[in-house]
Amino acid sequence: MAAIIEVQDLKRHYPMGHTVVRALDGVSFAVQPGEFVGLLGTSGSGKSTLLNLIAGLDTPTSGRLKIFDQNLDQMSREQLSLHRRKNVGIIFQSFNLIATMTALENITLALMFAGMPRVEREQHAANLLRAVGLSDRAAHRPSELSGGEQQRVSIARAMANSPAILLADEPTGNLDSKTAKEILDILETLNRQEGKTIVMVTHDAVLATRYAHRIIQLSDGQIVANGTSHEPAGGTA
Amino acid sequence: MIFSDVTRLAVRNLREAKLRTTLTSLGVAIGIASLVGMVSLGVGLQELTVGQFKKSGIFDSITVFPENRAFRRGGPMRMGRRAAENKAPEPSKPPEPLDDKAVQKLSALPNVREVYPNLRLPVEVKYENFSEFASALGIPLSSRGEGVFQKITYGSFFNNDTDDACLLSMDFARNMTSEDPKNLIGKTLSLGYASAMDIAGALANLPMGGMNVQRVEKKFTILGIIEREPGPNFGGGLFSSVMIPLKKAEDAGATDFTNPQALLQGLSNKKSYMMITVRVRRMQDTEDVEKKIKDLGFNAFSINDALQGAKKAFLILDVLLGLIGSIALAVASLGIVNTMVMSILERTREIGVMKAIGGSDWDIRKIFFVEASLIGLVGGVVGVVLGWSVDKIIGFAANFYVTRQGGTPAQMFFTPWWLVLGGIGFSILVSFLAGSYPANRAARIDPIKALRHD
Repeated sequence: MAAIIEVQDLKRHYPMGHTVVRALDGVSFAVQPGEFVGLLGTSGSGKSTLLNLIAGLDTPTSGRLKIFDQNLDQMSREQLSLHRRKNVGIIFQSFNLIATMTALENITLALMFAGMPRVEREQHAANLLRAVGLSDRAAHRPSELSGGEQQRVSIARAMANSPAILLADEPTGNLDSKTAKEILDILETLNRQEGKTIVMVTHDAVLATRYAHRIIQLSDGQIVANGTSHEPAGGTA
Repeated sequence: MIFSDVTRLAVRNLREAKLRTTLTSLGVAIGIASLVGMVSLGVGLQELTVGQFKKSGIFDSITVFPENRAFRRGGPMRMGRRAAENKAPEPSKPPEPLDDKAVQKLSALPNVREVYPNLRLPVEVKYENFSEFASALGIPLSSRGEGVFQKITYGSFFNNDTDDACLLSMDFARNMTSEDPKNLIGKTLSLGYASAMDIAGALANLPMGGMNVQRVEKKFTILGIIEREPGPNFGGGLFSSVMIPLKKAEDAGATDFTNPQALLQGLSNKKSYMMITVRVRRMQDTEDVEKKIKDLGFNAFSINDALQGAKKAFLILDVLLGLIGSIALAVASLGIVNTMVMSILERTREIGVMKAIGGSDWDIRKIFFVEASLIGLVGGVVGVVLGWSVDKIIGFAANFYVTRQGGTPAQMFFTPWWLVLGGIGFSILVSFLAGSYPANRAARIDPIKALRHD
């Protein structure tokens, strides 16, 4: 099967003062459709930079980055925004919900950019909220929701345009362990039942090994380990 | 992203910052109010001036002269003279005579309401001991209630064109009698004039090629007195103190001795006029009809020619007033830029999120453009109402003062529909342009930096 994500000698360097920060320095790997990949590494290892590149939020300094056989490194800003809209759904550590919008509106916003008509998108967003167990929270603003609830809204939003790939950047970083487990269970369900390809950035090796099929470990912008996790995904839970 | 969604988002963003939106819109409103107020003043003054002209009833009339009678020196004939000069290469061709055939030709032109010759005869007016030479003008009955005849100070306009009746100008009436001119109504005066009659057969035997001039004296009843004399172009190139029905002037076989051409042509049994007045249906037809008359080979003059200069002057005034009024709007537009930039700083993270979930640069740009335009729309509508209200108040106060000082109140400010719509449209345009810098800045925000923004 052709890889859904293909990375070859990918580099991302930032100029900082007189020096150059090599956030990513020649990374190569591939992700197959339906895989749950954990990107493990310490702070500053380049894992978030890699995720941002796959998301199309950033552009590489050099190297090759292919999603669905399309070269992201050669895309225009407009094409990248289309890629973010259609191919990937992003889940952030800090949820990044728009504070002035209700849970439902946060989800419909993503559908608005896709040009879905009003009635249809409200219906669709309500279904997504139900899927993450938040039907009764539709009219609440983020400030009225708990961290776990906010992250579930965020997952529903990431799923809005039915992307094949979900990109999660420390999705449980701001949550207690019980809530973290709930969120990861949702991701696992999406991976198993809907076949979503998931790339999750984390610094928590235990969580990564428990849920991910494969772990790619980064250090100083380079891959130091790339292999199947020791424990079966989902663990004993 | 569809436009209605962009608008929905923009409205909600503006609502989230009510105070800021209100203050910015108010700034725009004041700018538009000053602009609309100033232009209203310009338009009002123009209407006031043009209105005076309109009252004189000369806007819809064109005076037609024979081609070669172009005035040599200055005068109101500049356009006509130019037309005459242009046709100079055909000296052999005789000019089109202003005869009854010409009247028919002119009547046949589109948008022409009425055509009548200007008959003006030198008369000797006698009333009791008073005797003076004056010029009597033939007035068509259709002039009733028009121009200077809108207001008959004493008495009334001609009832028909068969009675021997006349109207007088106030100045002339005051000269005639030491009493109140009102008392002249119903009295009779006598007009003495020279009449060139065709006497068939006798013509050939007379000296000077058949000139036969008789002195005729006729009694006319004074029917009415008007304040102002018919000015140039309203049936004559000169002011006339005595007015008689046009039919009477024709029947009198009056010959204008100031027009030798008419005298000579009268001999060949062909009546010819010195001037013909053409009146058009609507004022705006004047220019077009005047051109057509010139194409027929006549010379023509209308007050519109003279008004072109005045119109230009008013245009300059309007632009000047508009520029002064725009100063406040320029300041307001800076306010929009400021508000929008502030809003971007506040919403940087939100913009990052929008981009992360699929919003394109263009989507972001549209949202900010619409936000700015909405500020312009609200500011424009409020501004027009504000400007109009202030005009009304100033106008009322000014007229109150003028009336107390014994003057005639006048409408200084005039806000036409084009100004209302133009004001709102201009407000939106200016706001849109002011929003272009912030909108582009928002669109170019790097989503990664934005997402890290607090």
